[in-house]
Amino acid sequence: MLLVALSIVALKGNAQVSINLALNTRPQPWLADWASPVNGIMILTYTPGAISDPAIKIRTTVADGAGNPIAVSNINSARVYMLKPGVNQFSMANALQMENLLFVGNYKASIRRSGRLPAGQYQLTIQVTNATGDVVRATQSKFFFVTSYQLPVLMSPANGARLDAHTAQSVIVFRWTPVTPAYAEPVVYRVQVFEVLSGQTPMQAFRANRPLLDEATRGLTQYAWHVNLPMIDSAANRQFIWTVQTTDMHGRILPANADANTQGHSEPAVFNIINQPGVVTNKKEDEDH
Amino acid sequence: MASITNDSLKAVFRAQCCLLLLVGAVVFGARAQDTTKKKKPEFSIGGDMGVSYEGYGLNLWPGRSTPPFYTPRKPWNMLRYNFSPTFTYGKWTIPFNFNFTALQNNFITPVTSGKQSLWQFITNPANNFGISPKIGTTQFLLGTQYIKYSDLSTGDLGAFGYGINLSPGKFRLKFFHGVSQRSIDYVAPTVVPPDPGVPGAYQRNHWMAQLGMEENEKYFVGFNFVKAQDDINSVTSLPQPPITPQDNMVVTFLTKVKTGNGWNLQMELGQSFHTRDLTTPASASPVLDFKPFITSHTSTDRDNAVMFALAKKKSDWEAGVKFNYYGAGYYTAGYPFMATDRLDYLANASFKLIKKKVNVIASAGQRLGNLSKSSGSGVNRQFIANVNLSAQVTDHFSLNGTFNNLGYNAADITGYRSVNNEFSINPVYTWTTTTMSNMFSGTYTRSQYDETTLVPAAVTNNNTQTALLQYVPTFFKGNLSPDLSLMWFKNMAPPVDLTLFNATASLGWKLASKLSLKSQLQYNTSTTAPFTADKNVLLSGGFDWELYKRLTWQLLLTGNLYRYGTGLPGNSLTPPYAGSPQYLESTIRTSLNYRFK
Repeated sequence: MLLVALSIVALKGNAQVSINLALNTRPQPWLADWASPVNGIMILTYTPGAISDPAIKIRTTVADGAGNPIAVSNINSARVYMLKPGVNQFSMANALQMENLLFVGNYKASIRRSGRLPAGQYQLTIQVTNATGDVVRATQSKFFFVTSYQLPVLMSPANGARLDAHTAQSVIVFRWTPVTPAYAEPVVYRVQVFEVLSGQTPMQAFRANRPLLDEATRGLTQYAWHVNLPMIDSAANRQFIWTVQTTDMHGRILPANADANTQGHSEPAVFNIINQPGVVTNKKEDEDH
Repeated sequence: MASITNDSLKAVFRAQCCLLLLVGAVVFGARAQDTTKKKKPEFSIGGDMGVSYEGYGLNLWPGRSTPPFYTPRKPWNMLRYNFSPTFTYGKWTIPFNFNFTALQNNFITPVTSGKQSLWQFITNPANNFGISPKIGTTQFLLGTQYIKYSDLSTGDLGAFGYGINLSPGKFRLKFFHGVSQRSIDYVAPTVVPPDPGVPGAYQRNHWMAQLGMEENEKYFVGFNFVKAQDDINSVTSLPQPPITPQDNMVVTFLTKVKTGNGWNLQMELGQSFHTRDLTTPASASPVLDFKPFITSHTSTDRDNAVMFALAKKKSDWEAGVKFNYYGAGYYTAGYPFMATDRLDYLANASFKLIKKKVNVIASAGQRLGNLSKSSGSGVNRQFIANVNLSAQVTDHFSLNGTFNNLGYNAADITGYRSVNNEFSINPVYTWTTTTMSNMFSGTYTRSQYDETTLVPAAVTNNNTQTALLQYVPTFFKGNLSPDLSLMWFKNMAPPVDLTLFNATASLGWKLASKLSLKSQLQYNTSTTAPFTADKNVLLSGGFDWELYKRLTWQLLLTGNLYRYGTGLPGNSLTPPYAGSPQYLESTIRTSLNYRFK
C-alpha cells in the first residue's frame, strides 16, 4: 500500500512528456528537405507536474530495414528545447536533426555525396530525454520507405542526330526511357520541342523559346509528331532541341534525382535537319551538350 | 521599393565595371598602338547585322470549341534584331553579338508577370548583348557571353557580365563574372480569373576562372573554377518550392594532349560542392565547409565526375574510346540539366576498305544508371550499338546501310526492358545526259521496338516502316532546280495502326543573278485505323533577294490547311459542328540582312 501510494505521488509530482511521430511513410528522398510539412510532423505533449521540467533533448536513431543502426545523433550537442504546457509541434527536420546526425559506413558516403539514402525501408526512432540526455522520457519509432526517381533518358532522336528533311517534315518519332523505378500511378510525360532560331545557341532556345510541340502522354514512352513544317528550305527549321518533362497525374514534379530547379525536365538533346539525298543517320555528330 | 533601388544600384555598379574595363582596354590598346609607330592602322568591318520577323496566324473551323481542338504553336509575332559586326582596327578586333527581341517568350525559364525592367531585359536568356574586344593576347568579355571552359565545368549557358582572357606565352588566365539567371518575382496562381501564375526565380550570379598552360595543337593542362550562387534578396516575392536558392562550386582539372602521329587524349576530373537549398540550416555535416567558397548546409553534397577520351587517327582509319562518370551528387550550374548518377563507355571506329570505296563507321557502348542505388537496388542498363556502311559501288551507284541497336533494362520491380532494332538501306543512282544530271534515291527504314514488363506481365510492340523515294534533276542550262519526293510511313503499335503518306514537290527558280524564288507543295494524309484519313496541304513560297551589295532580303510564306477525318468528328466538339473540323496555319518569316564584308 505504501509503495502504491508513493507511486501515485511520484506520478502526480513528475512532469510528463508524450510523443506522437506523424511521419510520412514515403518522405522526400533528400533528408535535408524534411522540414517541409509534406514529410510529417512531430508532436510532443507536455503535462507539467508538481515538479516542472520542460527542458528536453532529442536523440535520433535511424536503422536500416534489418534494424541495424545506420545513424545516431550526438546527444551532447543536441539542442535543448523548452516545452510549453500542452501540445508542442516540431517539423520532421527537428526530429531528424540532420546537422547533428552521424552516419556510419557506406551510408555516410551516400549522404555526403548525394544527400539521399539508398532506396529501401528504414526505421526512425525518436527518444525524448531530459536536458542532460541521461533519462529517456518518451520513445517512438516509425518505419519509412525512401526512394527517388531517375528521370527519363532521351533515346531517339539522339543528341546530335541528323534527320532527313523529306521524312522529318512529316513525322518524327520521339522515344525515351521510362522513369525508374516505376511510379505508383501512370506518370505524365510532356514531350517538348523547341526550334533553335538563327543566332541562338540550342540551350538559349531551350530556355527562352516557346515550344513548337508540347504534348503530354500518360505512361507512354514515345510520341509520333506530325510535324507539318517546311523543312527543305534552308532558311528555317534546321535545328531543334527537345526534352521530356515528367510529372505525376496532377502536374506535380516527381522527387527525382535531378536538381529540383530543372522542374522535372530530362537532359535535352539536339537534332539537326539535313536536306541531303542519301544521308539518313541517327548517330551522334559530336559530344557537345 | 528597397529591392528595386538595390537592383538599380547593382545594375549601375555593373555598368560602371564594364565601362572601367572598356576604358582600361582603350588605354591599354592605345599604348599598344604607340609601339607600332608611323603606320596608319587599317580599319575594317566584318560580320553582319539584320532584323528578322516571324508572324503566325491560326484560323479554326469551327472558330470556337471547348476545349480548342487545336492550339497555336508559335507566338503571334516575333521580331528579332541582330547586330554582329566585327570591327578591326590595327591590332584591335572587336566582335559584337547583339541578338535580341523585345517580346518575352520564355518557357522553361519564367517570364515576368508585367513589363521587364531594363536589367531583366538585358539578362533575359532570350537576348544577347555581348562585346569581346581583343588585342594581342588580351581579350575583354563584356555583356552576354557563352563561355565553355570544359564539359564538367561550364559551357552551355549564357551569362551577362564582364571578364577577361589572357594568354601570355603558354599561360592561359581566364575570368568571368555574370548573371546566368535573372530574378523573377513569384506570382501565385489564381482560379478566377484562371491564371497559372509565375513560379519565379532567384538571380543566379556566376563566377568562372581558368588557370592553365597551353601550346596550340599540342597540349592544354589547367584548372577550371566555377562558382554560382543564387541571390535570395534579388526577389521581393520568394519563389515557392521546389524552386530553391542554391549555391554551387566546381573545381576541375583538365588536360588535352595531341601528338603528331595522331593520338588524341582528353581527361577531366571534377569535384562539385552543391547546396540545394540555402535556407536549410548551416552545418558542417554531412559535408565540411570549404571556406571562403562554400559554407556548408544540411543540403550540401560533394561528389565527383570523370571524363576520359582516347583516340588514334590515321589517314584511312580512326578508333577511340570514351568513358564518363558522373556521381549522383555532381552538379554544375554551368550545365544545370546534366544527367548524373551514371557511367557511360563507348568504343568507336571508322575505316575505309577496297581502295577507299567502302567506308565503315561503328560504335558500341553502354550506359549504367542509378549507381547510387537511390532509385532501387539494381543498376539501369542502356545499350547502344551503331554500324554505318557506305559504298561507292560504281561511278553511278552508291549504297548506304545503317543498323542501330538500342536496349534499356530498368532494375526495378516491373522488370522493364525495351529493345529497338533499326535497319536502314539507301541506294542512290545518278546518271547524266547532255543536258542534265539526275539523282534517284530510295530509302527504306524498318524499326522494331519491343517493350516488356514482368510485373504486370506485358509485351508491347511498336514497329515502324518508312519508305522514301526522291528524284532530283539538275539542269545544266536554265535556272530551275526541282525536287520530288514520296514518303510512306507505317506505325503498328497495337491497337494503334497509323499510316502516313507524303508527296512533296519543290521548285527553285533563279530568276535573276540576285533573285532566287523557291516554292514547295506538300500533300499529306494521316490515317489512324479505323478512321478516315486526316488530310493536309502545305504550301510555301518565297525568295532570296540581294537588294543591294551585301544586303539580302529573305521571305518565306507558308500556309498549312489541315482537315480532320472521322477520328475527330465535328459532332464530338462542344458546341457540335456540322462538318469536319479544320484549321489553317499561316506563317510569314522574313529577314533583312546586311553583310559587312
